[in-house]
Amino acid sequence: MTKAKAQRQARETATAFGFLIPFTLFYTVFTIWPVIQGAIVSFHKWGIMGRQKFSGLANYAKMMKDRFFWESLGNTTKFTIITVPMLIILAVSLALLANRKSRLQKMYRVCYYMPNVLSVSVVSFLTIYMGSPYMGFVNGLLHTLGAPNSFEPLWLKDPNLVWFTICWITAWWTVGFSMMLYLSALQEISPEIYEAADIDGATKTRQLFNITLPLLKPTTFLVLLLQIIACYKVFGQIYMITKGGPGTVTRPLIQYIYETAFTKNDFGYAAAMSYALFLILVILSVIQTAVQRRSEA
Amino acid sequence: MKTKTSPGKIILEVVSVIIAITFITPIIWALAVSLKYEGMQISNTFQWFAPPYTLNNYPDIIRGTSVPYWLFNSLFLAVLSVLMTLLLSSMAAFAIAKLKFKGSGAMYMYFLMGLMVPGEATIVPLFITVNGLNLIDSYGGMLFPGIAGSMNLIIMITFFKGIPDELIEAAHIDGAGNLNIFFNVILPLSKTVLVTVGIFSFLGSWNNYLWPLLCAMSEGMYTLPIGIPTLLSTYTTDYVIPMTANMVASLPAIILYLIFEKQIVQGVALSGIKG
Repeated sequence: MTKAKAQRQARETATAFGFLIPFTLFYTVFTIWPVIQGAIVSFHKWGIMGRQKFSGLANYAKMMKDRFFWESLGNTTKFTIITVPMLIILAVSLALLANRKSRLQKMYRVCYYMPNVLSVSVVSFLTIYMGSPYMGFVNGLLHTLGAPNSFEPLWLKDPNLVWFTICWITAWWTVGFSMMLYLSALQEISPEIYEAADIDGATKTRQLFNITLPLLKPTTFLVLLLQIIACYKVFGQIYMITKGGPGTVTRPLIQYIYETAFTKNDFGYAAAMSYALFLILVILSVIQTAVQRRSEA
Repeated sequence: MKTKTSPGKIILEVVSVIIAITFITPIIWALAVSLKYEGMQISNTFQWFAPPYTLNNYPDIIRGTSVPYWLFNSLFLAVLSVLMTLLLSSMAAFAIAKLKFKGSGAMYMYFLMGLMVPGEATIVPLFITVNGLNLIDSYGGMLFPGIAGSMNLIIMITFFKGIPDELIEAAHIDGAGNLNIFFNVILPLSKTVLVTVGIFSFLGSWNNYLWPLLCAMSEGMYTLPIGIPTLLSTYTTDYVIPMTANMVASLPAIILYLIFEKQIVQGVALSGIKG
């Protein structure tokens, strides 16, 4: 009896590994191994042709003194600090608007989420064509609406305006995802709470600030951390819209890593900087997981 | 609840509509430009949207540019990515969720670790790894890093755990093996989760930018997101051809979204929960 059971157990284990092997293989080679490989590479002088020599912590020491590393990390941080609050306020507002009883409810949701399915190239391309002076859509619209002809904001070139442009198009592009998270949270709030508040004579505005927004707090924590993580990975739209310019004032960390590896052929240093980013992101995800556990408990 | 038309409600409705229009204006504009004749003079904004229209730009970019190659690569990789993601993840999820074996918990923890690994931060060593396997500038190199992701696996494990064990036991008693159970019991019951994960893999692959930018070296390997920016430098003064390429890259995603809107919303909620 026990022998038969043991046999079945062994067969089940064999089957399980059969089912697990393909996924585990790809997962290990392309997700886990690069993390280890990255650490190894960061301790070496390493070029496109491979390992050149062991260099200990030299890449990390270089990083601490590299003005451009700190500048690009600062740019990424600046992008995060501007974009995330904007995104959260926009996401909550859109979710509240799209959650009202309305015949157009479905259309609102579809429109607000739509930009999310575009690729970063299309988004960047649209921004370039809409934001260019003289021929662009935005300035054209401003002139059509009566702005003087001399009014020609350089949305893509002015060092201050370009930040505004990049952050807003990122918000436009990605807000749908956060809005959906808020919408599903809103739908979980029991209507009875509002009915009770109605009976007590609370106005809609008071209900919003004293019931709805406090109940959305866990979602806000989640969205906050997910968006901080997403913002620290910013690359595509800045790379395509400004190339990191003018000069290097908008260059994000990932672009600097990319250029270090692929134009300066310094993979070792690029790996060391990747590890710095990796560390920031892992700390953020650990916080996120902890916060989520707490709010679920 | 009675629906009274108060001024407040009307204002909110108007605001919602204005925002909705603002949100899709860039997309509508791109569509309108792609329907214009090349070399049109535009003197005010509303002319962008006004007729005359033509559909000729679409065959023109298919014939005159590399867009059809990029379109093929994008489609081919997206479809393969969906198929492989679904197969690999559902197999592994079945083993973790429904088979009893030593080390099951440890494997689950091992897969959870992947949630902490941000792909963007390991892009340089990933390049070195793929280069070491001689897969740079090949379909395999473009495809493989994206097909075994923790998030998809965990979504599937959660779903499979909800399938009653009695169904599996009953099939066992009827003499079905695990492979049989997987294909004939588990997968048919999992259509919703397969569709959700499938759509996200499709959109993820279709819109992927950073990895194909590194991995595709020759123009023939480009996908649409990599190829389209190269058109920008070729057509600097006329918007029509690049906008048409933009629409070719966007329409499949938009149509997919309009068809599967419900599943996408569900998927967002799922990934938010497990986030």
